[in-house]
Amino acid sequence: MSEIKLLSSDQATITVEKSVAERSILIKNMLEDVGEVTEAIPIPNVNENVLKKVIEWCEHHKGDPPAQADDDSDSRKKSSDIDEWDQKFMQVDQEMLFEIILAANYLDIKPLLDVGCKTVANMIKGKSPEEIRKTFNIQNDFTPDEEEQIRRENEWAEDR
Amino acid sequence: MLMLDPRLEIISTILEYLPVQDLCRFARVSKQLQEMVYDDSRWVHKLKLMGVWNETEARRRFEDAMRRRRTMQAAKAEEERKALQNGAKTPNLGLATGPPPGVSTITEGVDLMNLAPLTPIGAPRLSIVDPGSLLKVLPSIKSVRGFARHEFGRIYTALGPLYFDLAKAKTHTDPVVFRIYRDPEQQAQVLAQLKVFAQCDTAHGWMDRLERLNLMIGIFENAALREFEGGYETGDIDGRMRRYANVLILLNGGQACVQLFVQKHPVMFERGELGSPMDSFDKSMPGSFSLEPSLLFFTRLSALLHEQADVIDRVFPATVNVMIPFLERVAEDVISEFVTPILDEAHDRDIEQYLEAVAGIYHRLLEFAKTIKVTKGSGERFAEDTMKIMGRVFEAHVDLYLQDELDYFRKKCETEVDSWEKKILEEDAAAESFFMSNINREADKRDFLSTFKKVILMPVSVIPSPFSAKSTPAAETKPAETSSYANSDTLSVQETLNASRPGTPMTLGQATPGPPPTTELAAKAAIMNSRLEGIRSLFSLEVALNLVHSAKSSLERAALFATAGGQTGEEAREQCEQIFIALLRVLGPRHVKAGFDKAVEHLSKYNPREITEHSQPGVAPLVTFLELVNVGDLIQQMIDVFYEQELVAAKLTDPNDFLNPAAKEKKRFEQMLDERVAAGLNMGIDVLIDEVDHLFAITQQTTDFNPGAIGDASLRDFDIGPTKTAIRVIEVVSSHTRLLTGSTDKNVLDVFNQEVGVRLFASLCKHIKRQRISVDGAIKLISDLNHYHSYITTLKIKPLVPYFNALRELSQIYLIDPSHAKQMATVIADPNRFGGIFRVEEVYEYATRREDWYRVKKEVERAMYGIGCCIS
Repeated sequence: MSEIKLLSSDQATITVEKSVAERSILIKNMLEDVGEVTEAIPIPNVNENVLKKVIEWCEHHKGDPPAQADDDSDSRKKSSDIDEWDQKFMQVDQEMLFEIILAANYLDIKPLLDVGCKTVANMIKGKSPEEIRKTFNIQNDFTPDEEEQIRRENEWAEDR
Repeated sequence: MLMLDPRLEIISTILEYLPVQDLCRFARVSKQLQEMVYDDSRWVHKLKLMGVWNETEARRRFEDAMRRRRTMQAAKAEEERKALQNGAKTPNLGLATGPPPGVSTITEGVDLMNLAPLTPIGAPRLSIVDPGSLLKVLPSIKSVRGFARHEFGRIYTALGPLYFDLAKAKTHTDPVVFRIYRDPEQQAQVLAQLKVFAQCDTAHGWMDRLERLNLMIGIFENAALREFEGGYETGDIDGRMRRYANVLILLNGGQACVQLFVQKHPVMFERGELGSPMDSFDKSMPGSFSLEPSLLFFTRLSALLHEQADVIDRVFPATVNVMIPFLERVAEDVISEFVTPILDEAHDRDIEQYLEAVAGIYHRLLEFAKTIKVTKGSGERFAEDTMKIMGRVFEAHVDLYLQDELDYFRKKCETEVDSWEKKILEEDAAAESFFMSNINREADKRDFLSTFKKVILMPVSVIPSPFSAKSTPAAETKPAETSSYANSDTLSVQETLNASRPGTPMTLGQATPGPPPTTELAAKAAIMNSRLEGIRSLFSLEVALNLVHSAKSSLERAALFATAGGQTGEEAREQCEQIFIALLRVLGPRHVKAGFDKAVEHLSKYNPREITEHSQPGVAPLVTFLELVNVGDLIQQMIDVFYEQELVAAKLTDPNDFLNPAAKEKKRFEQMLDERVAAGLNMGIDVLIDEVDHLFAITQQTTDFNPGAIGDASLRDFDIGPTKTAIRVIEVVSSHTRLLTGSTDKNVLDVFNQEVGVRLFASLCKHIKRQRISVDGAIKLISDLNHYHSYITTLKIKPLVPYFNALRELSQIYLIDPSHAKQMATVIADPNRFGGIFRVEEVYEYATRREDWYRVKKEVERAMYGIGCCIS
């Protein structure tokens, strides 16, 4: 079982099994293109902590069937439940959660990205727009009138 | 920290997992998010999930809008141009950014909220206010680009509350659905819509919600089914049954209730009342089999189905096809249960019975299928579907049946031929006398053959249109002939002759009218059967006919299945060809070829000197052989008719496909026959000429051409006419050649005749050289040779004529008076006289056969070779 080295953005080198690392489509493709590498692969957008967390996830999921390549496009799949281990795995502070999602996006680990997004979706369920803004740190660029109008437009969706 | 551009994708993914409610709340967070939430494709997707988005409709609407906009723009541009021409200062920008509201609603896509406020959605709790309007919400959805969110809103407002309420409900009495709508029809409609609506619920927990919904629908369906069943049991066809069938169809297409309806029918449980399969056996007598009970069974079932079709029409609307599932069930549970025991039993008892049972019952089944009444919901392809269903009943039996049919046919053929061969073997000891008796009946047979030819030629001429032939000429002429010849064996020769004369068959009374022939083949078979008692030593036409008959019945049975279509039909067709091939194989190599071989063997053994009786103008084995050729030809024509009518006309085989095994086998059969005929004819010529030589040797009297030989002048015969020998020879030759006319290929016949002519010529030459001919006898010889010559001209074979002309000329040399030796020499030395047939030396040789040769020799030689050549 061959191993490869990854270099995080803060210059930490992490050794990982090749099969585990290949859960990342980015790394997998890279290895396919380059062939054998002895040097550490730089992962510039991900710091050591996050990378370790991601690798932890990959290790747990290394036995999973590989994600089908063609499942993007139109088939937005229905949200399946998050399994218990993943739920626990995602019990991190919010900042870390977003970091993981970003890393999953960058490294192209679709299942992890999905789990992350689902977690976020569950998190913001039932929250008011103001709370959502806080959570995501978004600036409200509506005038009160505009916001009121949009609220009325979407009144049909509100719970009654 | 997250809201940088590349992260939008992530947000978008998150949005997908959000329930609609939260999704809409997201729109209020910021402009960018609003844009993302309002993205039309997101909502189109949801509509697609529910199956209410029609892409073609959307495209059409879009294109309409585009066209309108283009016309509008064109108008604008025109206006603008005019305005410019007028020098008015109209800013372009203003025009471009301010299109009329009607256009922009469509084309501006997502950003249409200002222009199209969602007024209908504005009123909350619409569903409670107007429950009736909700029932049709899904079908009312329009596919308009840019309006997907709006349309989705309409659905959500209508069904969302009911859906989530239902998902939360603990018992089936809780959901608000059942409280708003009291009508089972309405409940069913809403539930069906909710089921569709559930498809767009992709948010977390959808599985639980869907499960609950299905549970509720299940409870509802069961209740409705119970009502339906209750209606069924009380016979409330137009009331409860009809109503709840409708409810269930509204709910989910009504498959459950169709199934219930099909299963509950009493015929499934009480099929015994329709008839017991075992009734088919031993009814009239032990071991017998009858199709009557099956007929009865199908008649009863047909009546029952007729009734059922009425009920179906009353209970179910035209949109649901109930008859087909019902038929499927009946076929499986009732018909199969009835048919299978019969077939199994028949198979155990007797193969022939089994074959008849399969074909018979299948035929009844098809008839039955045609009687089934069409219901309004049974669809356009009802007839096809029914046939398919009925075909399925027999699917399990067809393979076995086809195999058995072929095996049975083969076996039957073998036994037929075997038993015949055995019989012949027993008669072998008596074979010689049998041939002799054949000779005695030669006239009878020849006449018989001529009739035969006539009969054969007629059907051949009508083969191209077997369908019309079946009705008119065959039906009118054949039965009469059949009956007139049916007892020809008992009739005297004279009577048979009368009967055989063309045009007179009707004069004989219909003494023994046989059963009316059904097809041309049957008609022919009837005639031949009675006609061919005579020739059976070598091969029997009767056997051939029997074989063809059983092939026909086998084929007809198997052909029933060929109409079934699909794989079964294809297999059945192949099996039909196989049966035909089997027929040819048995008939050809086993039967006909063996017969021909035997006949040729007889021919080769023939020695005219061993046979004392030569009063008949025929050579027994040759006559037999020639008749055999006729019969063989007859069989071949029969096979041809059979092939055309039973296989080609019934579309069981393709005559144009030269690779087709049936066609190939047929060709092989014909080839085999031709070869045998050719081989036999070759031998036949030898035999015929042997016979002729023999006749010359024993019947020609020395006094014939030399009346003075015995010195008794009173015995001199001054008759002018051919001698007995010549007459006999011609009789022998012509009777044999005539037998062949019409039975073999014209070319073969010509070759045969020519060969016979040439060999006859050679024999004659030899014969003349053996005679002593006086001047008086020359007249006889001349009339003999004239007789030969006139016979040869009837053959119409040009190359033969010079030979016999030469012979005639040659006879002149015997007529010349001994005193005219010089003239004789002139004749002998004139090669032109004999058309190059005889050389001078040969003619000289003939001249030496003169009775007075030694007296005239000197003179003649002197005249020929000149004076002085005389040897002293």
